[in-house]
Amino acid sequence: MKTIILGVGNQILGDDGVGVHVANELKKHIQHPDITIDEAITGGMNLLDLILNYDKAIIIDAVKTDTEENGKVKRILLSDFSTMHSCNPHDVSLIEAIEIAKKMGETRIPKEIIIIGIMMRQIPCEFREKLSKNIATAVPKAVKMTLIEIKKDLKDLKSR
Amino acid sequence: MKTVTIDPITRLEGHGKISIFLNDKGDVENAYLQIPELRGFERFSQGRRAEDMPQITSRICGVCPVAHHFAATKALDAAFNVDPPSAAKKLRELMYMGYFIYDHTLHFYYLGGPDFVVGPDAPPAKRNVIGVIEKAGVEIGKEVIKHRAYGQRITAILGGKATHPVCGLPGGVSKGLNKDEVQDIKKMVDSCIEFAKFSLKLFDDIVLKNKNYVDLILSDPYTLKTYNMGLVDKNNKVNFYDGKIRVTDQQGKEKVKFDVKDYYKNIAEHVEEWTYIKFPYLKIVGWKGFQDGKDSGIYRVGPLGRLNAAEGMATPLADKEYKRFYETLGGKAVNSTLAFHWARLIELLYATERAKELINDPEITSQKIRNPVGKPGEGMGVTEAARGTLIHHYKLDKNGLIEKANLIVATTNNAGAINMSVRDAAKGVIKKGNVDNSILNMVEMAFRAYDPCFACATHALPGGMPLEIKVYDCNKKLYKTLRQNL
Repeated sequence: MKTIILGVGNQILGDDGVGVHVANELKKHIQHPDITIDEAITGGMNLLDLILNYDKAIIIDAVKTDTEENGKVKRILLSDFSTMHSCNPHDVSLIEAIEIAKKMGETRIPKEIIIIGIMMRQIPCEFREKLSKNIATAVPKAVKMTLIEIKKDLKDLKSR
Repeated sequence: MKTVTIDPITRLEGHGKISIFLNDKGDVENAYLQIPELRGFERFSQGRRAEDMPQITSRICGVCPVAHHFAATKALDAAFNVDPPSAAKKLRELMYMGYFIYDHTLHFYYLGGPDFVVGPDAPPAKRNVIGVIEKAGVEIGKEVIKHRAYGQRITAILGGKATHPVCGLPGGVSKGLNKDEVQDIKKMVDSCIEFAKFSLKLFDDIVLKNKNYVDLILSDPYTLKTYNMGLVDKNNKVNFYDGKIRVTDQQGKEKVKFDVKDYYKNIAEHVEEWTYIKFPYLKIVGWKGFQDGKDSGIYRVGPLGRLNAAEGMATPLADKEYKRFYETLGGKAVNSTLAFHWARLIELLYATERAKELINDPEITSQKIRNPVGKPGEGMGVTEAARGTLIHHYKLDKNGLIEKANLIVATTNNAGAINMSVRDAAKGVIKKGNVDNSILNMVEMAFRAYDPCFACATHALPGGMPLEIKVYDCNKKLYKTLRQNL
């Protein structure tokens, strides 16, 4: 099963980049011919382009929340999704992009799309490269959760 | 009339948060659009290697990486006192046309278009690109996706990466074009020209032939008589990549024209206590508050600003459309906010025609694509981002590290005008305290026309533009909250 793990976020916007931090960490743990690990700073249509042709996509991203604890990590199905990187005034959301693509007869959309979401109370608005303390502690949790997700499908995965 | 101050606590919350204040008659007194402003760029940049700026700044915004990339690269050309070879300039401009093709296509069909194609009164669930496809047909949907992808592929061939280009260097570019790539681009460009012509025809059929839409475009709530700004070439024709910054007045007459190195002599920034956004205005006119007219220094940028600030388009088909635009909408300047959409399509046609000129230029395969840089100093660079004039300004130390950095981005240039358009749209629909959900769409249409880039509005809900409107009565008490996509 071909899987893509995509860390989404902007590394120069502090906590916004947490998905990319997690992806970089995962690269140290996973080496498997069926697994691709990549990063993206984009959303919507462009994000969809990146996950086409895979059977499964795992998207690691910050999720804005008003109720959850800051730094909590959650596994979310795309279909349950309520918050997402990828919606800005100049793009459509990933869900919308998928809906459009399906209407056009696109057949390369992954059958399974999972979000590993890092809950965030505040939207980062300041340029910096480091993560805040709370969000930094979420990185190993998100790494662990992603590895569990992967091992479900690939029993032969050797994580280091 | 009551004086209203807004609790500064609200200034950082949410995206597209709008506060509307009513007077004692229940009519709109004032309205404020709050958008999150990214902070700390200057401090973040200090001490970094200057040549990293085109890559770093292309990450500022997921929306216009190419525009930031080249505004930064051009600022570095100036800071290192080097003029790139003419082939390098053409390669940069060609890549820039690819960016305009995908960006303008996305906006018209996915974001702005639904209001017109599906209709301003359609329910929000239908007023999206899916609704456009349902109305226009799946075949058209496929064409939209194909040509947006062409724009991205042109950008990727030239820039190394579609979303975050790596080609711009002070003094030129890192990569030229080979013959196969030229053939590939030629084919895509020809197809894009036809697609742009088709898009204008679609606009004609659906919008311009519908009197209700034309009346809406020309209606008072969507009219704003500001100054207009955009880059022009030596013949005062619209240019996206290079030229002088020209400002025209409400009748289309030239007010000022300057090189980017003189931007700070011509543009000043006004600060309001309720937002971190600084509102740029023309120094020569001055800041007179949020009002339009010749005595107020507020100006507009972006497709409508550019067309108004110029005297035509530099390619034949787009120039023909340009003339028709002014004939149809009553001469210069066009001050109708919703005309941004038409202007955007005229620019799409120009971008495709200009791309054809550039790809057919024999020099485009030249290998002389970089000149040696001089000593580091200070430099400014300007480009037209899809949504308006974008300025980068760097001061380097003797080792080529950033000492000072300043950016004026397109949406900031439009900030004053967007705020007024939101207020006027609200005034048009709220009377005697009657507030209902229809104002969400009327207000959204007002600012969506500008195609604003709310820099960090990235973590938001799917399904459309998150928007919250709070309406306060004359005692500043919260009267009603309207929300969508939140």
